[in-house]
Amino acid sequence: MAQSEQVGIIGKGIVIKGNLTGGGDLVIEGRVEGQIALKNHLTIESTGNVQADIEADELTINGEASGNIDASSKVAINASAKVAGDIKAPRVVIEDGAVFNGSIEMEVKLPEDV
Amino acid sequence: MEREAEHMANTVIGSSIVIDGEISGEEDLVVQGTVKGKISLKESLFVEGSGIVEADIQTQNVEVAGKVTGNINASQKVELKSDCRVVGDIRAPRILIADGASFKGNVDMDAKGR
Amino acid sequence: MATNKEMTGGAAGATVIGPTITINGKLSGDEDLTVRGRVEGEVTLTKTLFLEVSGVVKANVSVKNAVISGVVVGNVRATESVELTKEGRMVGDIAAPRVILVDGASFRGRIEMGDASVSRAAGDRVGRPARVSARPSAPPRPPPPPRAEARGMANSKSTVTPILSKMESKSPPVPPALAAGKRKVVVRKRER
Repeated sequence: MAQSEQVGIIGKGIVIKGNLTGGGDLVIEGRVEGQIALKNHLTIESTGNVQADIEADELTINGEASGNIDASSKVAINASAKVAGDIKAPRVVIEDGAVFNGSIEMEVKLPEDV
Repeated sequence: MEREAEHMANTVIGSSIVIDGEISGEEDLVVQGTVKGKISLKESLFVEGSGIVEADIQTQNVEVAGKVTGNINASQKVELKSDCRVVGDIRAPRILIADGASFKGNVDMDAKGR
Repeated sequence: MATNKEMTGGAAGATVIGPTITINGKLSGDEDLTVRGRVEGEVTLTKTLFLEVSGVVKANVSVKNAVISGVVVGNVRATESVELTKEGRMVGDIAAPRVILVDGASFRGRIEMGDASVSRAAGDRVGRPARVSARPSAPPRPPPPPRAEARGMANSKSTVTPILSKMESKSPPVPPALAAGKRKVVVRKRER
């Protein structure tokens, strides 16, 4: 598949069980179980439900996600999202209204006297 | 969110606050709540009417309108205002006890305060 | 009191810990607290903690709300919300029904908001009020098969954060299928 700026969309009624990998952006409106590894931006829409370990550059979550997340730039958990799992990313944003249970590992620079 | 205390100070311990421990600092402190333990300041301590201090105090100036139980060691001046109740030893080069103040303890005005 | 111009200005007093003050011990109160200095030990408030940029709290914190723009090392438990602003830095666990991490905040630790309809295994998302509950799964159901999954104890949420209040809320009717995965099972001898 062309690895240009194409956006892949997994529609609302689709269920995928397995591994997803790719270089383009991906929008998930349906259900994915397994593993996801993307080089770019993954968006889980409000109807989306992902039960998978995710590796991506940037992640925007409006729906449900459960699994470990490893992002190289940013994870945004928006107001309608429900996320459970461990997140490792340099930037993580949680909006008011989101539900999150798990751990977050960002780099925290503490002053020396703490 | 600063509320005006009787004295202008950056630090105000409000009336519903209870602190059990040690307070130290380099600015004025106003106590309207309860402090048990130790207070050590380079500036002035103001114990207002509602303040209850059960601690040894070491500061530059102390002004008490509330209750203090503990030894006071001031490098400049101690002032007991009317209606205050102080039990403990006071050591300061200058001491002012207003009419109506209630005090029980020793006074040492030996000029080499601290 | 004659000289007592107690200006408890405004509704809830506002306690401010100035930037050069260090408090080492336990602090508790029924008013908002603004920290610009340093507090080590324990903080318990029935209202809001505002930790300003210069403030450092190295303590376990138990409040209604917390707005963190400074540094926190310790666990924060709030009955309403915790917000880490873009200057906020925290290492520790958060337990609150609402948690907001603004872009720019740094955080390392766990976050438990409870009531997540998505848990690691089959979640039970049935109407649980939005409270910080330690265990999303329902309490033992009346006839549990004794040989049932003894991994009922492997309830990931409750073991991890000791600071969570174990609020055993009333059990909503959990559809059998959903509860299958994560049930706290009490294995008892059944008389045959």
